[in-house]
Amino acid sequence: MQTIVDSSDGDLARAVAARGPEAAEAAEGELYRRFAPRVRLYGLRHLRDGDAARDLVQQVMLVTIERLRGGSVRDADQIASFVLGVSRTMVKDIRRRDWRRDQLRDAFVRPDLVEDPMREATLDADRLEMCLARLAERERMVVLLTFYAEKTAGEVGKELGVTEGNVRVIRHRAVERLRTCMTSREVGPRAVAPREVAE
Amino acid sequence: MTARCEAPIPEGTLLDYWARDLTDGVESARIEEHLFACGDCSARLHDLTALGSGLVALVRQGRVSGIVSRALLNRMQRDGIHVRMYSLAPGETVPCAVFPGDDLVVAALRADFSGVDAVTLSVTGPVHAPNGEINDVPVSRPDAEVLWATPAAVVRRMPSMRLQLTLASAGVAPAELGKYVLDHSASTSPA
Repeated sequence: MQTIVDSSDGDLARAVAARGPEAAEAAEGELYRRFAPRVRLYGLRHLRDGDAARDLVQQVMLVTIERLRGGSVRDADQIASFVLGVSRTMVKDIRRRDWRRDQLRDAFVRPDLVEDPMREATLDADRLEMCLARLAERERMVVLLTFYAEKTAGEVGKELGVTEGNVRVIRHRAVERLRTCMTSREVGPRAVAPREVAE
Repeated sequence: MTARCEAPIPEGTLLDYWARDLTDGVESARIEEHLFACGDCSARLHDLTALGSGLVALVRQGRVSGIVSRALLNRMQRDGIHVRMYSLAPGETVPCAVFPGDDLVVAALRADFSGVDAVTLSVTGPVHAPNGEINDVPVSRPDAEVLWATPAAVVRRMPSMRLQLTLASAGVAPAELGKYVLDHSASTSPA
């Protein structure tokens, strides 16, 4: 028997639009679980603010489900494109004016309907610190300038005196090494720190 | 259930997208279309952002060891991270300590970096045995400085000691650029 989780995006959109008493609620929940993280990532990418990204999710999902209920989404199979389009429009609006943050928060999708699909994955901070320390100097500088200082490859290149292309290569390699280190149990040499000098 | 991705976005492209390094708007739009329709790739992007969030959290706690750039240090200070900075010219000995409220301790090593692209920093501890080297540290300008960062939490655990730091140009024929001494006094009060 096909469950709601097995449904395609289009099937979910059609179930919401059909507004059957129980099926629609379950479909809304699954649609939210599926798309909210994607909208959040889009918001983080374009707004660089966690709170603003969360607000964007609420706004986009509200509009999406309203439009589905109202029958104004023409092609249910293109629901992903529809959600992206709404996201783009809303990010433009947010950039033009201050957002009224609290106005529509929690207005539509009941938080108890689904487990929070947007929660941050929690990394082992001690492990990540060790993995970061094990990177080569250039790799560590590039990932920190990228993720913390939010600099592009061109900006990082100017800072470190290397080409933009080199920065991309170093960045890619550094991220791969961090991922490998985070999932590995191996403990290897790390960057020089006074702690080791003291021991 | 969304189908498994048959054309996953390459890792490098995903990283470029997140870092705003895709100058082609059409390419960015194509990636966003894919991300919204593809659970696999959006999950991969989520993992990437989780790694980035983890790194940001570490920096905000001052848990960064090794060489940092001036831009990174400026950003950290703007974000409220308390940096204890000791600036050293070649041949200098500087007394140093960590104080309550410090998050990060940074030694700023000055030298004449003319004609030098990268350097090696050697650290020698109390018994004058080599304790370690940091290799291939990029130097972008002749008037640059090498900023060596250590979490304040680590420095607080150190006993009183003298650390000798040596900068040398990297490469097949390294030339010494400067020697520096940090005369560290152990913390006497809990932070």
